[in-house]
Amino acid sequence: MSILTVDELVQHFPIGGSKSVVRAVNGVSFSLDKGETLALVGESGSGKTTIGRCVLGLIEPTGGRINFDGTTLGRHRTVRSPELRGKLQLVFQEPAESLNPRMRVFEQIDEPLRALKMPRADREAKVRLAARRVGLAESLLERFPTEISMGLQQRVGVARAMISEPEIVVLDEPTSALDPTARAEIIDLLIRIQRELGTAYLFISHDLSAVRHISHRIAVLYLGKIVEQGPSAKLFAQPSHPYSVALLSSVLLPNPRIKSGGKIRLSGEIPSPINLPPACYLAGRCPMVIDRCRETMPPVEMVADNHSVRCYRHKEVSELDKDFDSFARFQSEADRILGAGIPEPIKIGIPENAGDR
Amino acid sequence: MSEAANSETMDQTVAEPLLECDGVYVTFPRYGAEEAVALRDVSLTISRGEVLGLVGESGSGKTMLARAIMRLIPQPGAITSGSVTFEGTNLGELDPEALRRMRGRDIAMIISNPRGELDPLQTVGQQIGNVLRYHLDLNSKDVRERALDLLKQVSIPDPQRRLDAYPHELSGGMAQRVVIAIALACSPRFIISDDATSGLDVTVQAQVLELIRKLVSERDTSMMFITRDIGITAHYCDRIAIIYAGEIMEVADRGVFFDDPLHPYTVLLLAAFAQNERLRRYWLGEDKVRENSGPSAVGCAFQNRCVRVQQRCLAEHPVLTEHRPGHFVRCHFPVERP
Amino acid sequence: MQILSYIGRRLIFVAPQLVGILLVTFLLLKLIPGDPAVMMLGPFATDEGLARLRTELGLDHSIIKQFGIYLWRVIHWDLGTSWQTTMPVTSDLAQRFPATLELVTLSLLLALSIGMPLGVIGARSKNGIIRKLVEYYGLAAGSLPDFWFGLVLIFIFYTILGVVPAPLGRIDFTIIPPPEVTGSLLIDSVISGNWLALRNALGHLILPVLTLGLINAAPILKMTMSTMDRMLEADFSRYAEMCGLPDRVVARKALRNSLPSVITIVSVLYGFLIGGAVLVEIVFSWGGAGQYAVQGVLNADLNPVLGFVLYSAILSLVIYLIVDLIYFAIDPRTR
Repeated sequence: MSILTVDELVQHFPIGGSKSVVRAVNGVSFSLDKGETLALVGESGSGKTTIGRCVLGLIEPTGGRINFDGTTLGRHRTVRSPELRGKLQLVFQEPAESLNPRMRVFEQIDEPLRALKMPRADREAKVRLAARRVGLAESLLERFPTEISMGLQQRVGVARAMISEPEIVVLDEPTSALDPTARAEIIDLLIRIQRELGTAYLFISHDLSAVRHISHRIAVLYLGKIVEQGPSAKLFAQPSHPYSVALLSSVLLPNPRIKSGGKIRLSGEIPSPINLPPACYLAGRCPMVIDRCRETMPPVEMVADNHSVRCYRHKEVSELDKDFDSFARFQSEADRILGAGIPEPIKIGIPENAGDR
Repeated sequence: MSEAANSETMDQTVAEPLLECDGVYVTFPRYGAEEAVALRDVSLTISRGEVLGLVGESGSGKTMLARAIMRLIPQPGAITSGSVTFEGTNLGELDPEALRRMRGRDIAMIISNPRGELDPLQTVGQQIGNVLRYHLDLNSKDVRERALDLLKQVSIPDPQRRLDAYPHELSGGMAQRVVIAIALACSPRFIISDDATSGLDVTVQAQVLELIRKLVSERDTSMMFITRDIGITAHYCDRIAIIYAGEIMEVADRGVFFDDPLHPYTVLLLAAFAQNERLRRYWLGEDKVRENSGPSAVGCAFQNRCVRVQQRCLAEHPVLTEHRPGHFVRCHFPVERP
Repeated sequence: MQILSYIGRRLIFVAPQLVGILLVTFLLLKLIPGDPAVMMLGPFATDEGLARLRTELGLDHSIIKQFGIYLWRVIHWDLGTSWQTTMPVTSDLAQRFPATLELVTLSLLLALSIGMPLGVIGARSKNGIIRKLVEYYGLAAGSLPDFWFGLVLIFIFYTILGVVPAPLGRIDFTIIPPPEVTGSLLIDSVISGNWLALRNALGHLILPVLTLGLINAAPILKMTMSTMDRMLEADFSRYAEMCGLPDRVVARKALRNSLPSVITIVSVLYGFLIGGAVLVEIVFSWGGAGQYAVQGVLNADLNPVLGFVLYSAILSLVIYLIVDLIYFAIDPRTR
């Protein structure tokens, strides 16, 4: 059923002029099903972007295997190989930088189709359909990227990634450069497209409210290792790894009454991936550290179906706070506040008088 | 109108105002076109010890307001109308030298991207020392001691060694702490934090926010906390102001603001966090086909993105009105809740 | 310690770099038409005489072999003789290279002391009249040919005003030059305490140094001003302003951050002027190394040209090494 499986992926980068290496990814395994969204969550240095690039075949992994649709990806079989072209796509973090400033929006979206050598007449219709799908007005197709807002630029990025109807799209922090509203719009857009086309997303992000929304499953990364992996709702409600708890606690929802859990505060900052800690990577920052954490790397343990964690004290961690999920607590507040303005009965769409604008 | 309204806020919060912006306009002349208005009729007061959150998206004018307060509007822009009063002094009447002495000493700044904003060729100690030397006339020995003390206050590990470190040797969070130390160096009465934590990792951001809040409340310093993340303001600010297209759209105390937001733009900002898909979709206007819709020059600036837009909004520019005591909104049709 | 290993690594590459430069020059010179034997023996030479001379000069070997022979001699510090001066190239250059070095060094010092302050002043007075004046100077100096400017200076200060000595060499014929130690007349006069020679040599230096200095201040000025402009706009300068640091402190920070580009342009000019000052050397009959090399090219006199190239290459490598060391001292990020 999985269309992508990543098995014990390792990626080390040598540093020029010295013997040390940057250990960006240190044995990561996960799989991705058709039409599913897996979020790779982590901070800088977690290796999440590197994993995305490995999956796309942009860099050759130091170790491990990546299997896409039944065949192994490698040096000779990458996104650029003819038989895979258009099946794996990428949406970048900085929309402005990923678009060619001298190409019109139409040509940007058209680009992957030209690579597939599709006849011009077919392409034209497809581009217009793709633009409509991402909510870009027809008139914008003739504009240049610099003439439109960042949110719209990212819609172009999404349209371009989706036009070849890929099996998997790697979304590399697609929302982190955007303003919060544009961010929410792009997330909603991606969800809708996934429903329409059944595309699988590998969603790379540190933005947890976006992740909460879009992902079915979450893998939390710390220094190139998955420390916890599980279904989205479960992980948000009852995280079992101290790092997941800290990460989720740092979410600030717009309601003063909803304080995030905050039972675990990490000290210090992420160590350099050049000198990794000897055992558990979090040991130096974790308030729950015990001697064992400094001696051997905790093994992967299954705490429930599809829910695995790498921590000796995961039971205690998961029982720290029963009412952990601040998003769930925020929900009723949000419903009351947002529900108020909506004309009764709740109509989805825009009021008539705004429709022609 | 807004003037009278603001004086009432002051009464409400009891404390005397530390900083008062009154009808500030900042404009940029343009060749062969009408001048660009970066700030339009901005009136805000900040009381002693108060933390005001200023929320806006990129290009909304939030940084411009910080620069207007500091009197550092980039050329060829200028404050064309209105005044900024700090502790009873109209800053527009100060000469350049007096303004310079005010910056960094009375009003300090915490910026984003700290590693880009620190001088790459000077050590942390030298950069903290610069501020101490030019504002407080300390001698070299005192400067070093004071700098060390400041680094301790912002909880930098191994402060003695960090004093001689260069910015490129610091992590983002560490550099941010140095910038906070520089801001605190002369014990300012007012600090402007401009997107100070946006470049940091989330767990580090949490640490830095806690630190800023702690230091500010310990010293009874007032603060304007500029951010594009409305979520932060709910937890670290006393009062929140929303800015859009250079205009203040809504101002209220935290409790009221998040309980009963009035402006459709504020609600839109909150909707970005909600789970309920139908509500989200309604406010975000997801089904609408996107034109390149920026702020409008005529009528309400927000009309192109407002899901509740009406005929009146297209023609008539709304003014900031006190909808209920202490709660101001610039909208013809504020969102009503039962 | 890092710096030592860096210098070590740099030095390893010096020898191959020099051989490469010499090879390219050698091949290029062989492409220029002109037979040294014909040049040396003149129009009445017999065929046998020419053939004998060619064999003597080794010109009947293959080009690669000729180069090999030349290289072998270079290793033993024998750069051959110039048939024009009939002197060994090493002793010719020992006299002429310092002459050029002295001229170029002083000119660049002058250019730097004009260009850098003007650049800083221009950058600090945005949109002012001063900036306009500075820009005009840069434009004017950048577009004047240096030899022409030299002639104008001679006309004004020698022909009309008569305040400088005649543009004929580095020192008056009537004055006995100090014994040669470094080759620089100024330094040598000071060493030997010959104040008369020092004064006279200085007088001779004024116009050529002024010529090269005023002209070459232009690129330095432009580089300083554009880099300063950028640095004053940089985030750290805006931040320094917001911290209320005085303008001069902000400018000083910006200048320090601009220094690497200024140093780069000076080093480039230095390497360029060793040969590029030749027109000015001719105008002032300086007898410098550039003049020597050009004579060699014109008369198919190979050894002086190769010797000049070798000297200039070594000098450039030394300059670039010094520049790197300066970067290293200024910028902690390179450490």
